[in-house]
This record gives sequence, structure tokens and C-alpha cells, in this order.
Amino acid sequence: MSLLTNVMDHSLDEGYAEAAAARGGARDSRIPGTLRGLLTLGAGLALVGAVVTVGAVNAHKAEPTLAKERDALIHRINDSNTSADRLQKQVQELRRKVDSTQQQALPSGDADAGGLSGAVGLGEVTGPGVKLVLEDAAGTGQGGNVDPRAGQGFSNSGRLRDRDLQLVVNGLWGSGAEAVAINGQRLTALSAIRAAGEAVLVDNRPLVPPYNIQAIGDGPKLLTAFENDMAGQYLRLLQEKYGIKSTLSTQKSLTLPAAVGVSLRTAQPVTPEPSPTATPTTAPTSSGTPTTGPGTSESPGASVSPSASPSASPSATSGGPTPKRRPSTGSAKTTTGTGAARP
Amino acid sequence: MIAVLGLVIGVVVGLFVQPEVPDAVVPYLPIAVVAALDAVFGGVRAMLDGIFNDKVFIVSFLSNVVVAALIVFLGDQLGVGSQLSTGVVVVLGIRIFSNAAAIRRHVFRA
Repeated sequence: MSLLTNVMDHSLDEGYAEAAAARGGARDSRIPGTLRGLLTLGAGLALVGAVVTVGAVNAHKAEPTLAKERDALIHRINDSNTSADRLQKQVQELRRKVDSTQQQALPSGDADAGGLSGAVGLGEVTGPGVKLVLEDAAGTGQGGNVDPRAGQGFSNSGRLRDRDLQLVVNGLWGSGAEAVAINGQRLTALSAIRAAGEAVLVDNRPLVPPYNIQAIGDGPKLLTAFENDMAGQYLRLLQEKYGIKSTLSTQKSLTLPAAVGVSLRTAQPVTPEPSPTATPTTAPTSSGTPTTGPGTSESPGASVSPSASPSASPSATSGGPTPKRRPSTGSAKTTTGTGAARP
Repeated sequence: MIAVLGLVIGVVVGLFVQPEVPDAVVPYLPIAVVAALDAVFGGVRAMLDGIFNDKVFIVSFLSNVVVAALIVFLGDQLGVGSQLSTGVVVVLGIRIFSNAAAIRRHVFRA
């Protein structure tokens, strides 16, 4: 407090009092009488005026500069947005071009080229099927609102886990589904259903409950097959024990979008002798049925039709249109391209 | 008369010549302005108290400006520039307020 009191009490420079005392205590010196004193005062006041004015002018000048910098930043943001949009458009255009080139590059004798793209998930497909909606049990955190510290994560058994979803999707494939999509995201043979932290990911994209699984196939038959399947029983068990709701219904017409970001991969033999026991370089993660290893026993030609047998349908999609046999040496070259896919 | 002329000349010089302030000094200009105002209020109060001295006025003005800028510069070098400039503004502000109050008492007798 004494510091503040000191500042308050000694607001006047003590030099004035000392100078007055030195002059003999005369308290009449209001304005300097001599010319020299007046000049000094004038010079001092001129300095004060100059400092204050320069400060004000400087502050005034800095203002438009700041505004200009802000404008420049806004301009840069807009420019970047525009160029990002342009690049996005370019990407779409190039993707379309790649698609059409792929179609052209396929041998003309391949009558199933269009159907193949549907079967592997690269093309949009429409048809009858079933819709399965899975919902976490009431009272569990929903999607992004999950607080990881609140103990509502996967340890809470009322939430659907990635393993459950894998089992359900495999069950759908096994029951004769020809195309499957989760929350509008098409599954291919290379799709992965995984969990990261508290979220279920499909192809590294997080899903938000409720999980809406659409499968194209022979509606009623698919429904019955799925309900009698192990996956259907598993879902009933989840509902009874943990309150995870599942709603299964047939749909007259479903439209599944094409999968995005799928690149063609083929394996090329290093030696001319193909080995019958080869497997493709990339194994299907989610949609591969346990019964049939892709590309092992079936001939590639038998599995290109979208209406192929249930077990063959996923295998047609594994690792590109038709994976070439890999030699037993195990050294395979992975290339991208369409023409190289035919054996 | 000469005093008023000096003030006018100072303002005119500041306005029209617009001396280019070096970039290194720019951050200390506001502090210098506050210090200058403190010296002016002190001088006016001394004048009304009848103990004004031109030499004390100009020396206190110059030293106030230089010391205030120096403190802030030192603070900048030590990484506490904004805190120190706040301190300088608080101290000088208190002085300006109490000097203004004294001037008010002289002028209005209240």
C-alpha cells in the first residue's frame, strides 16, 4: 500500500520544490520571466507537442496497415479455397476419365465388364435387398458424444463393436448378399471394419450410430438365410442380453453407391509356371467368407458375374478384377492397371 | 506567448513533417506519449502552485520519456515487456490523475 500512497502523494516532480527552495522559497514564479526561460519552456512544449502528435499519427497510420494485413489474409484464404475447389473438380474429372479408360481398356470380349464393376464395388448397383439397422443400447454414448473417461466406451457392452459388425457383414455375404454398404459406404473385398479408440471404422472412416447396413440380394431369401445364419442368431443374442436393437426388413429397391478410393491391383508372375496354391497379395479383411479362399479353387471366369454363388461373390472382388496366380516362390510384383489383369 | 507558440510549432511539426519513426522505436512511442503527458501535467500543476521551473520541466520531461522507454525496452529484452509497460502506464496514469486533480482544485477551487 505504501508504494501506491507514495505514488499518489508525490505526483509532482520534487525537482520543482527543490528549485523553488533554492530560489529562496518565493512562490511567485508562475511563468518564467526571462526570455531564456520562456524559450526553454517553448522548446519543451514544442517537444511535447511533437511527441504526442507523432504518437497519434503513428497509431493512425498503423490502423490501415492492420486492416490491410487482415484483408490480405482473407484474400489468401479465399484464393486457397478457390484453388482447392478447382483441384477437387479436377480430381473428379480425372476420376471419371480413369473410369472410362478402364472400361475401354477391358477386352471387348469381356461381356461382363459392366457387371464386374458392380460386383467388385466399383460401380453403383441397384436392386432388391434387405436393410438392417443396428442401434446401440439405450443409455450408451452415441457416436462422437462419447466421453472416453465416462466408462461408456467399448467396455460398455451395450455398444456395438467392430467384431459384431464384421460378423454381421460376413453373415450377409454368406447368406447371399451381392453388395453390401454400411451407412452409405460400399464394402469391397478390400474393406476393413475396424475399431480405433471408441469409434468403429469402415475403410478408415468412422461410423456414426445407428448403423444402417444395406445388402442387395434376393430380398426374402436373403432375409431368411440371414436370420437362420449364425450372424442372425448372434444379433438376437445381442438384443436379448445387451439391448442392442436390430431391425431387419426387405426392401424392394436399394441403391448402393460405388466404393471410393479403390485401386486395381494385380499380381504378375515372375516365372512362367503358375502355382495353383497361390493367394492374392491382399487378403480380404471383412467380406471374405471363411469357406472359400479367393482365387484358390475357383476359376476367375466363374466368379465375375454379380449373381454368382454367395461364396464366389466376395472372391470375385478380391484384389482387383481377377488376381493372377502367384508363383510359389512368393515373390510377386504388384502393379496397377486394367489390361494386365487377365490371365 | 512563446510557450503557446512552441506548443503549436511542435504539433505542426508532428503533423506535417511526420518524421519517420524507426521501427525499433515504434513500440515505445505510446509509452513516451504517456510520459510526456505526465511531464506536462506536472508542469502545469507546478505553474499553478507557483513553483514552476523551466529547467526542471524540460529535464523531467526528457528523463521521463527516456526512462519509460528504457524500462519497456528492458522488459522486452527480458520477455516481460507487456507487463512492465502496464506498470509504467499505471504509475504514470496515477500521477497524471492526481496532478489533474490538483490542477482542478486550483482552477475550480473545488
